[in-house]
Amino acid sequence: MNHLTRLKSATALAALIVPLAFAGNAWAQDTVNLRMTIWSANEAHLAMFNEIAAAYQAENPNVTVTFDSLPFDTYTTTLTTQIAGGNPPDLAWILETTAADFVNSGALAPLRESFAAAEGYELDDVTEQATALWSSDGELYAYPFSTSPFAIFANNDLITEAGQQTPAELIAAGEWNWDNAIAIAAAVADAGHDGLIVRDFNYQIWQNLASIWRGWGASPWSEDGDTCTFADQPMVDAMSFIHNAIFETGAMPGPGESVDFFAGDAAMTITQISRASLLPQGDDAFDWDLVPLPAGPAGEYAVIGQAGIGVFANGANPEVATDFLAFMTNPENSRKLAQFFPPARASLLTAETLGLTNPLLSPEQLESVVIAGITNGVVLPGHEGFAQIQQTVRAELDALWTPDADVEAVLASVCDRIGSLL
Amino acid sequence: MKTELAPRTKVLVYGLMCVLLIPFVFPTWWMVTSSVKPISQIFAFPPDIIPRSFDFTTYGRVFELQPFAQQYWNSAYIAALVTIGTMLFSSMAGYAFARIRFPGANLLFMVVLLGLLIPSEVTIVPLFQMFLSWGMINTHWPLVLVPIFGAPSVFATFVMRQFFIALPVELEEAARVDGLGRFKIFWTIALPLARPALAAVAIFTFLHSWNLYLEPIVFLSSPDRFTLPQALTQFTDAYGGALWNVQLAAASMTALPVLIVFIIAQKQFVEGLAHTGLKG
Amino acid sequence: MTSSATSMAVREKRKRPFWTMERRDAAAGYLFIAPQLAGITLFVLIPLGLVFWYSLHEWNVLASTFRFIGTENYERLLTDRDLPRVLGATAIFSAGLVVLNMSLALLLAVLLNQKLAGITIFRTLFFSPVVVSLVAWTIVWSFLLQNNGGINGMLAAIGVEGPNWLRNPTTAMISVIVVQVFKNVGLNMILFLAALQGVPRELYEAARVDGASPFKQFRRITLPLISPTVLLTSIITIVGSLQVFAQIAVLTQGGPGISTTVLVYYLYQQAFQFHLFGYGSTLSILLFVIVAVLTFAQWQMRRKIVFYEN
Repeated sequence: MNHLTRLKSATALAALIVPLAFAGNAWAQDTVNLRMTIWSANEAHLAMFNEIAAAYQAENPNVTVTFDSLPFDTYTTTLTTQIAGGNPPDLAWILETTAADFVNSGALAPLRESFAAAEGYELDDVTEQATALWSSDGELYAYPFSTSPFAIFANNDLITEAGQQTPAELIAAGEWNWDNAIAIAAAVADAGHDGLIVRDFNYQIWQNLASIWRGWGASPWSEDGDTCTFADQPMVDAMSFIHNAIFETGAMPGPGESVDFFAGDAAMTITQISRASLLPQGDDAFDWDLVPLPAGPAGEYAVIGQAGIGVFANGANPEVATDFLAFMTNPENSRKLAQFFPPARASLLTAETLGLTNPLLSPEQLESVVIAGITNGVVLPGHEGFAQIQQTVRAELDALWTPDADVEAVLASVCDRIGSLL
Repeated sequence: MKTELAPRTKVLVYGLMCVLLIPFVFPTWWMVTSSVKPISQIFAFPPDIIPRSFDFTTYGRVFELQPFAQQYWNSAYIAALVTIGTMLFSSMAGYAFARIRFPGANLLFMVVLLGLLIPSEVTIVPLFQMFLSWGMINTHWPLVLVPIFGAPSVFATFVMRQFFIALPVELEEAARVDGLGRFKIFWTIALPLARPALAAVAIFTFLHSWNLYLEPIVFLSSPDRFTLPQALTQFTDAYGGALWNVQLAAASMTALPVLIVFIIAQKQFVEGLAHTGLKG
Repeated sequence: MTSSATSMAVREKRKRPFWTMERRDAAAGYLFIAPQLAGITLFVLIPLGLVFWYSLHEWNVLASTFRFIGTENYERLLTDRDLPRVLGATAIFSAGLVVLNMSLALLLAVLLNQKLAGITIFRTLFFSPVVVSLVAWTIVWSFLLQNNGGINGMLAAIGVEGPNWLRNPTTAMISVIVVQVFKNVGLNMILFLAALQGVPRELYEAARVDGASPFKQFRRITLPLISPTVLLTSIITIVGSLQVFAQIAVLTQGGPGISTTVLVYYLYQQAFQFHLFGYGSTLSILLFVIVAVLTFAQWQMRRKIVFYEN
């Protein structure tokens, strides 16, 4: 090795090591640095959050806020690892399914008092419906920043092609119910396309089927979460309906079949309105509509998904974090958040406000689907220890997704397995 | 075995290889072609083998949505540091276990081998606690230190040990008679002879670091410090849905440079390994 | 240091300086392994000890309760209804993966060891999945394996009705094994290819002169000579097979039922998804013991499998 090459390799090594040295943590000494974990990495979201944080910082110069985007698929895992390792974030987004775990664990700091004390916060404006999931014994543990109703997107081109009435026509005639809806799906499937897709269900995320079974008044467990109601009659009827749609009429794609509504080859899909962004433009565009879920035997209903923001009681600065959360979700900032996340404040639930930020949707669609949905909706099922229950039920329900399954027997065995977990 | 084949056998071998290639190549093909498709066509069925339209703006979007150049650099320099560090320390340890007699060598070798047996999921929580207490969370230190000194380096030590065992000892004996110290012998005689084994270790180590997924997700939190596999998960639309075409464009850019390096280096790599005599 | 060397060193102590050749050597040996040994202690042994410590506790991460419960988690291993099936699935998955991976790698290595034009391109293409992102790889396979997916499409073209790959316990297991093999077989292929090239050509020439058939050459010359590589790769592959779960999580989520839930996925679920860190740690210890026993057994068997040993 001559001097020149030695010098070169030394420089190269230095170039490699220097950034490492500078990547060292820059914990600020006097200031408070708040960290919020989120599962969005979208630039528009981050720009909005940073704008809100900057406004807060202008009032509180000693506070900085950083937003950590974690991958959605491993979000709760990563969050749990951070908590287990003794490094909880100050604030975190929480999914509706894990709400019960977080709310009941004592990991989250109570919020009600700080919110009530915050100037101009108008806590009463936040609907009780929206906060129910995040409350325990009258105390609020997380703010429901996103409340998103489930609805049906319909491909009217395929539906009229199959000689069927569109959902809008059925609604006008007062006949928008599950029997008619599934008949449309079956007819389109008969015509060589696909019928109704429960998006993201994939025969694994079974809780999304709540968007159907609520129409029968069914639920997986009792209100207090102590008793399994999978084997009760409403659930048996609803699941028989779904089983029939899959294996008899072919109105729903079977297990192991992937169909994407937004690629234009299915009659309808049940999903949240935010998916409107996936509707194809240009050459691939089709005539679509957004309608509320059809009425079931138990009448009209709505189902919503929710996400909350909580403050970790074990964080370094729970008081500052709570104060920031009160700022972030005050009426003014809630209006900003409503651009992307359907709000929980009654005053913001108008077609006018929502229309500003959802240009794809008509005022009627916003009124009938979003506002009605948020006002009347039941949140997706959740439970303490949900991940384990989810997995156990998933494994048991696999026996249901065969043509000759005995619905009642399978549902009974579900209750048998999860009884000890409830 | 390495002789000219009869023409008919040749055709047969080519045919067999082409059929076998399908499952190896199709997913990569899908990844690259889907990166230029509109999102609605990616999961259309049946898939278009040749895209109907080409939209290369996804490759530009990759750099707009994430500090992708910075993330590329992070992955590259971490992998390079890990590779250099592993080559040095693992060859030292491998050399000692193969050549130097010292009390307890066998026992200590067994202890080191333990590292080969432990999935990273098992130790991630205690490791997180340790690095937290050292103030190294959200830095690249865990991604550099653990692979060089911890469990992932054991494979390299093992390979180097096997290589040195197979290496004729005469050259070093002569140097010892001349009174050269161990380190000098290692550095000036043994290590240069170990170039083939080092090449193998380098490729395996580089790939391991380049593809590391769980550790970056757990240890890093700000986008400008992310590594590539982690960055790939971050391309989403305004509602958290994956921007598949942009994500696949980023995935293609992650894979192709490594493939090119492999094409250039593969001959030396294979022949290098051939001489290591990876002997149990 | 052998005992005779020690006694000699003792006898000659007065005549020779303290730093004898042996001592200097031993010191050098310790110095050489010191960095790695320190790393193993810090990043493997201590964490492993901590995991064992966790396994004696009930640890609810969210509620931050950490309660000593002795061997309760270990007793739970015995009463866990799912564990026997998980261990069975693990055994099938690992055995299937190792056999398929090793035979395919050997076949490819033999093919790629031929003198053919463009062989470099083939080598690169067979190796390419190793560097493709795991996310892209599993997603495209999950689509190919759908009931209405590409594979059944191709089967239908030749008049065969394919199974619903990921929804039937047997085919789901086959699918996760095959997808994992295609992804990583390139590494073993390269190792085998290297070993094949290390076989002296003169041996084959001599065998040909003796009139041995290509198959006989392969069995009598090639296999024995590459047996050390076979042993090494089989150890690495078995150990690696016990650590696979990301692909399973995407393709089947361990289903249908729990038919593809392997041990490492099960422990991942318990610890990170169900937040049961104590029991998850217990499963980690179980996994570690299994891997250690298997590796030890293979290492002991090496004299039977391996043709020669230095």
